Amino acid sequence: MNRRHFMGQSAAALGLLTGLSGPARAANLQKAEILVIGGGYGGATAAKYLRLLSNNTARVTIIEPNPEFISCPMSNLVVGGSRKLSELTVSYDGLSKRHGIKIIKDSVVNIDAAKQTVQLASGKSMRFDKVVLSPGIGMMMDSVQGLAQANQAGVTLQAWKAGPETVALHNQVAAMRQGGVFAITIPEAPYRCPPGPYERACQVASYLKANNPTGKVLILDANQDVISKTGLFKKVWADQYAGMIEYRPKHNAVAVDAKTKTIKFDVQDDVKADVLNILPAMRAGDIAVKSGIANSNGRWANVNYINFESTAAKNVHVIGDAIQIAPLMPKSGHMANSHAKVTAAAIVAELSGWEVNPAPVLTNTCYSFVNAREVVHVASVHQYNAAEKTFRTVPGSGGLSTEPTTLEGVYAWGWARNIWADSLA
Amino acid sequence: MHITLRKLGLGLTVFLGLSQVSMLAAAQNADATKLYHRSLAATCANCHGTDGKGVPEGGMPLINNQSSAQILATLKAYKSGAREGTIMHQLAKGYTDEQLQIIANQLGKK
Repeated sequence: MNRRHFMGQSAAALGLLTGLSGPARAANLQKAEILVIGGGYGGATAAKYLRLLSNNTARVTIIEPNPEFISCPMSNLVVGGSRKLSELTVSYDGLSKRHGIKIIKDSVVNIDAAKQTVQLASGKSMRFDKVVLSPGIGMMMDSVQGLAQANQAGVTLQAWKAGPETVALHNQVAAMRQGGVFAITIPEAPYRCPPGPYERACQVASYLKANNPTGKVLILDANQDVISKTGLFKKVWADQYAGMIEYRPKHNAVAVDAKTKTIKFDVQDDVKADVLNILPAMRAGDIAVKSGIANSNGRWANVNYINFESTAAKNVHVIGDAIQIAPLMPKSGHMANSHAKVTAAAIVAELSGWEVNPAPVLTNTCYSFVNAREVVHVASVHQYNAAEKTFRTVPGSGGLSTEPTTLEGVYAWGWARNIWADSLA
Repeated sequence: MHITLRKLGLGLTVFLGLSQVSMLAAAQNADATKLYHRSLAATCANCHGTDGKGVPEGGMPLINNQSSAQILATLKAYKSGAREGTIMHQLAKGYTDEQLQIIANQLGKK
């Protein structure tokens, strides 16, 4: 009896230990089923850093339908014809072979946060303790009447997710009649990659300058003005592409007619063009919308910025373009990589029973090619503000290039090679 | 006698338990601190490579051949404006001196 009592007290003391101690909690980290949904900049980085920061003890699975990673950053160079898609393609082998991450080639069709399960397109169901959801963007095709049909007819393309469409858009540009018009429409911000459409206009113009010098590029922007690198882009258009690129603000595309290749706007006159690159309004990737995680206007996912946990679903952490952004936070690949690291560290800390870092930091750098070689950048540093529970850019930090340079063209490729390695190798 | 033993045993258990807890807590804090340092230095990895190991001849200046002191001096020079750059003078200004110190310690050649 006494001995049993003694054992009981002992067990209670041990219970105290297991409740508080590192190793006992670390078992939670090792036992936890962590699913990463999406293998883009956000998801790939989250998976790799969950392994690195747990000293390779966390069990991590990526669910991604594509066989390889294809980078959106740099893909405008493929549209402009100076680079090939294969140069922007990276294998997932580094994550699986070097980092021990299980990769399932499938799509998630539902996330049940209450039951802590996900359903895959193949019919399989998987249990989870933590999900990192990095679903990218979805296109709101209904925001432009006739766009779905025009896409289906092969008349319009978005090419806003890098892949075969990127090459198809280049082929349309290359096949355009001499003196033809390439039109790109830009939705109201926020959308993926704020400077991306303006960079694309430069890349198409760069191609036309050499191959179709009487061709035109029309930028039809729903916003009041160029929303990123404004002065730099406008100067490039005047200096390098005078008479070729025309910028029209306050042009909100509402409809497209595939037969006549005409774009209609809510206020402005119709525009006809030869190649139509129509970018509709965007929102979080479909799985976030379907699972009720896109709880900001049904478009983006609200998160607690300290650990990127969804405000709609416990143990589901949302990163990358899909989130409702903090002030001045761009939807970029670099930012998704930054979100992923903060999230990976927070999950490792939480599952180890440690305090989550109360002062995380995010960075963003974004290089835009204004022709095949010259580049301009924008950069920012975002520190977590505990009082406001959001990220704020640091006054006096960040900024822009002073002018396009080939040196920054070299750094842009340096950035690409390093971030691909940091995310995937 | 029996009671005394039991009290002694319990006392020993509680004593051992608490000392183990504090030892483990210390270890846990060291691990948690290490996690914080690694995650802060990871904000450099996008451009300069995971753990500062950049892609050789990738186009970006390599930093893994520098000591912690050299890295810190460079970062502080960027932050103060003493050193010009394309982008690093803009990024360095976003970090506190303490954060730069941690980053330099973490990424410097060991």
